[in-house]
Amino acid sequence: MLAQMRKGTLQYCVLALLADKERYGFDLVRSLAETDGMVTSEGTIYPLLSRLRRDGLVETTWRESTSGPPRRYYRLTKAGAAALAAFKGEWGPFRDAVDHFVERKS
Amino acid sequence: MSTTPDKLVERYLKHLEVELDDLPRDRRREIVDEIAGHIAEARAGLEHESEADVRNILEVLGDPADIAEEARERFEIRPPHPMQPFKPGWMEVAALVLLLVGAIVLPLFGWVIGVVLLWVSTAWNVRDKIIGTLFWPGGLGFSLFLLLFAASSSLSGSGGDACPVQPSTAPETDCVSSGGSSSSTNVLGIVLTTVVLVTPIITTAYLAYRLRRQPASAVA
Repeated sequence: MLAQMRKGTLQYCVLALLADKERYGFDLVRSLAETDGMVTSEGTIYPLLSRLRRDGLVETTWRESTSGPPRRYYRLTKAGAAALAAFKGEWGPFRDAVDHFVERKS
Repeated sequence: MSTTPDKLVERYLKHLEVELDDLPRDRRREIVDEIAGHIAEARAGLEHESEADVRNILEVLGDPADIAEEARERFEIRPPHPMQPFKPGWMEVAALVLLLVGAIVLPLFGWVIGVVLLWVSTAWNVRDKIIGTLFWPGGLGFSLFLLLFAASSSLSGSGGDACPVQPSTAPETDCVSSGGSSSSTNVLGIVLTTVVLVTPIITTAYLAYRLRRQPASAVA
């Protein structure tokens, strides 16, 4: 159950991380993994990134790196920003509603 | 130092590639490339790389099977069917047996039933089915019938006006023109006998072989 919720919300966490700046895969994955409980195995982010790219929610550019081979940077598209905004609009009330019941002190 | 960390990474990526086998090629490439890049970035960040470091990197990335499962879910690709290895059923076995010797047990009909089963079965493709039908109509039964017919007609003498294999082979001038040299007729007879007997056996063996190969082509 929680695994399914995590899976469903993970893509919005990725979109949110890309909202302020573009990031390359390794950077993105490490940022997600820093927060406990979000990612169990880092490698599973890459299929998601591939899917988001194909759905047009993110786009990618290769950039030279000073420390090694070129990196593929991910950036939010207009559609990605819209999807993120729509999710935020629903997530707040939903989270509050769940909290209202499960955090209620008797 | 040793090349063990490189070997570990190589093995991991190969494993991942195999696990992602049922994904479209460009997506498989993209995911494998990105993960290879991730590993390279993680290794570049290490001060003194040890084998344990590399093992940790791979462990945190996760089991290739899990990554592949995630990919299938994200791309809505159905997981490989658990029954994938194709098990030839009674129908395929019956088809092969009847095609080969059905006409001996049950003249004509035995073979016809074999052909029907051959075409009904999903185990063979159309090309195989055509081959199975045309080589050799009637199977060994018809071959034996031809040989018996040839033997009896050559016994009854009159050298040559009965063509032993007329119904099923291209017109043989040798056969029609009476009184060619008997040695060439003999050689021809032996060749035709061999062809007539061996063709249905080869075809049956080919169909059985295609049956074994089927899982690979069924997946593709």
